[in-house]
Amino acid sequence: MTSQNDSTTTEPDDYQTYGEIVWGQFKKYRVSYYSLWGVFALFVLAMVCPVLAMNVPFYLYVPEGVGPEILQGTSYPWFVALFDQNFFNSGVDIFFNFLLFYVPFVFLVWFGLRGKLSPGDKSLYKKRRNIFIGVAMAVAAIGFMMLYGAEFRQPYVDYQALTELDDGVRALFPPLEHSYRNVNLMAVNEGPSWEHWLGTDREGRDVFTRILYGTRISLTIGIVAVGIYATIGMILGSLAGFFGGRTDAVILRLIEIMMCFPVIFLLLTIAGFIEEPSVFHIMLIIGFTGWTGIARLVRGEFLRLRNQDFVQAATALGLDRLRIIFGHVMPNAIQPVYVAATFGIAGAILIEATLAFLGVGPPDVPSWGQILTSGRNTQDMTMILASGFAIFLVISLFNLIGEGLRDATDPKMRK
Amino acid sequence: MINYIIKRILLMVPTFVVISMIIFVILNLAPGDPSAQAAADGTEAVSQDAQEAYRIFQEQFNLDKPILLNTRFRLTEEDVEEQVRTIVAFQRPVCADDELIEQIEEEQERAEEEATLAPAAAPEDEAGPVDEEMPEIADPADDDNCTPVEERPTTAEILSAQETLSDWGNYVVPELISIAQHHDQADIRHFAVNQLSSNTRRPILARSDPDPPPEIRDKNREISRENRVLRRWQVPIDEDEDAVVEMLEDNWIPWFEENRDRFEYSTGDKVGIFFLDTRFAKYWDNLNPFSLRPLRDDEDSLQSPLTIGAPDFGLSTVDRRPVMNTILEKLPYSLTLGFLAIFLAYIISVPIGIWSAYNQNTIKDQVVTVILFMLYSLPSFFTAVLLIEFLAVGRPFDFFPTGGFLADSARDMPILTQLRSVAWHIFLPIVCLTYGSLAALSRYARTGLLDVIRADYIRTARAKGLSESMVIMKHAVRNGMIPILTLMGTMLPFVVSGSLVIEYIFNIPGIGLYLYESIFMYDYNAIMGVLLISTVMTLVGILLSDISYAIVDPRITFD
Repeated sequence: MTSQNDSTTTEPDDYQTYGEIVWGQFKKYRVSYYSLWGVFALFVLAMVCPVLAMNVPFYLYVPEGVGPEILQGTSYPWFVALFDQNFFNSGVDIFFNFLLFYVPFVFLVWFGLRGKLSPGDKSLYKKRRNIFIGVAMAVAAIGFMMLYGAEFRQPYVDYQALTELDDGVRALFPPLEHSYRNVNLMAVNEGPSWEHWLGTDREGRDVFTRILYGTRISLTIGIVAVGIYATIGMILGSLAGFFGGRTDAVILRLIEIMMCFPVIFLLLTIAGFIEEPSVFHIMLIIGFTGWTGIARLVRGEFLRLRNQDFVQAATALGLDRLRIIFGHVMPNAIQPVYVAATFGIAGAILIEATLAFLGVGPPDVPSWGQILTSGRNTQDMTMILASGFAIFLVISLFNLIGEGLRDATDPKMRK
Repeated sequence: MINYIIKRILLMVPTFVVISMIIFVILNLAPGDPSAQAAADGTEAVSQDAQEAYRIFQEQFNLDKPILLNTRFRLTEEDVEEQVRTIVAFQRPVCADDELIEQIEEEQERAEEEATLAPAAAPEDEAGPVDEEMPEIADPADDDNCTPVEERPTTAEILSAQETLSDWGNYVVPELISIAQHHDQADIRHFAVNQLSSNTRRPILARSDPDPPPEIRDKNREISRENRVLRRWQVPIDEDEDAVVEMLEDNWIPWFEENRDRFEYSTGDKVGIFFLDTRFAKYWDNLNPFSLRPLRDDEDSLQSPLTIGAPDFGLSTVDRRPVMNTILEKLPYSLTLGFLAIFLAYIISVPIGIWSAYNQNTIKDQVVTVILFMLYSLPSFFTAVLLIEFLAVGRPFDFFPTGGFLADSARDMPILTQLRSVAWHIFLPIVCLTYGSLAALSRYARTGLLDVIRADYIRTARAKGLSESMVIMKHAVRNGMIPILTLMGTMLPFVVSGSLVIEYIFNIPGIGLYLYESIFMYDYNAIMGVLLISTVMTLVGILLSDISYAIVDPRITFD
């Protein structure tokens, strides 16, 4: 515990960390601030997709003598289907379904623990909060790996047909009884109706449900792809900037080479050549081609910082270089990365939508770009407008956040 | 300055080589094979003629060579024998195994029953070397000359072994000879002799040149005569061992002794082969702009001085025309679109930027900023589809054509009519290409001017009593526009790549659409060509933007 008299470790009451200053500034840009809430809302929406739309009932009661034997009695198929890899064949869906239960759980634990994290002492509280966040994320990663690795599969049951038997079968479905993959050739290219809010596509799949689940794809691609390239860019940029000399020359050349790659062409070529492209391929491709901007930013910051006193002090203390780079210099060099990464998410989502629009994405994933293409092919205005507007909305939300963040981190713009 | 430019241009060369190498490797490692596309019916080449055609195709596009480095001169007899054994193991009967015999007998009985039920027998398929037919069963006593069931190679393994052997070509001739002489199994010796006749074949020189010089033509005639002779030196599969030995002793060994120097490589040869007898080296050999060879004679090639010595991207595997010609044909469309869009974007965004910087933080400024920002976030393919639906398809308007660059009816009209038709066609694409860069550019213009407008010399100008328009236009704008001017160079690659989606939607035959189509046809040479052109434009663009910094802003020097 720090004593009140020890002035070197106690912080004055109005002390603000850099992050707090930026956050305070950011809140003053109302539009950007609300956009952040908008993205948060989109995340929640992406998580609760199956609550809103799925063709599996929450609760099912089948009396004896009706339907297959295993289904008889009371069951809760919805909860099982969430992790069923026959039903959701994409890891993205399984992940969000997992979050649907995990995030509320983490929040509950957090509210339970908050009183015990000594909120009186600001720095200790922060430290413990960071540990909590770290543990929660690690548990999420491990939990998801185990869940996905378990390859839980179940035979497919048509619950809707079962309830239509009307022999005392009771079921409680989500409000929209559709899945984004369910092909229904009886209802092809329908217009909007109460049953299908945005109509159906060429294969009779409900467009609204597809757009809803498309949120998951877009958000995942944006964040994972940018996560990959921000990591690569930060590592290469920091090495180039910190060591200089030959390392710098080699990495600069690498950056120049990557920058000269006609990226959209390259993406299209690679994506066109992958035999069975999946969402993860697209993420990897975007991730491995997009890192040059961030590498250059970080390199510039490191060049500026590496001769400053605190770095020399750390060197004089005999810390090893990796610790100086990532523990001391990186926190000071990282703020332009946040801005670039936010714009980058918007860019990655746009690239994915473009690839899907051109028809090189994974074929059965409900990507918005793909919905737009099929709407264009069937001259279906509802599909075009809905998917296009969804892309526009997400891209502008991230761009607005980036805009606000850029102004908030700019000392000249401080309000 | 001149030194700097020269240094930069020299540095561009290795960058370009590395980029072309990476693209080349990516393309060549990618699954999917243009020669598979060439055999349209999807069947494997079975007859000897079909195999011959396949090999010629492979040779023509250098697909039989290793991608980057060639180590085939180091192949040993074991490597060759491994491939040979795989193929021979397939041709051998399967070792007898009681269960298997029973199983096969049952199947035969069933087949006979079926045959009696359905007397109209299916026509016999052409039996190729890789047909998955029921293997014959060896005599249980003859253990030595059979393949155990579990070791019987799969079709894919045999195909790859055959492919590998013929790709190795001339490099493995000494090894094959040695196998044919000394191997202890008769059928392997037999196979090696037969394989020799295809592996000794020499490729014809300058195949793609339709009108070769006389000395090459003579040489080619000689090569094909020899190839024909060598092809005849085969021993039919049902002949016995003596015929094999006889063929070897009478024909192959004398021939080999005679041509021995062709198969012995000095260290210099090896280095040359290691780096140069590869797909990439062959590609670069064609690409090299300093070889100054005239453009291939094509029926509709553009015979202008400009194309002399232009790099040769090879032939397209789809239409067998030189890729360079197609690109030169398609480039004008993309360039028209791209440059017009950039020009318009500058024309519109600079005044907007100046205006909104001048009205900084007023409602007017904010409204314009928000509108531009929304345009910036609007994906261009969405807008393009909407514009087509609203203004071209006829729901509700059909003011504009739905795609294309020039109406067919206007093709033979006077130039003004043609221009009007073109303008009519590219109006919507240009709108789609322009609006996205508007927001970014005008923002640059705005911040550029804002940086300058607070400077001391502007205050001085005002204090001197200059009119406001004079202050802004003459003193502020000139300096404030430096950042946006230097952006122009970096927009050069956008001319090609930015318009891909728009070309696709509006069906404009530019090189973006060409690339898109080539990808789905696995047309490697075309993809390489377009990617390399675009790379060059990016490199030049970056250089131009760096130079323009120094030209526009005298404070920056590179010395």
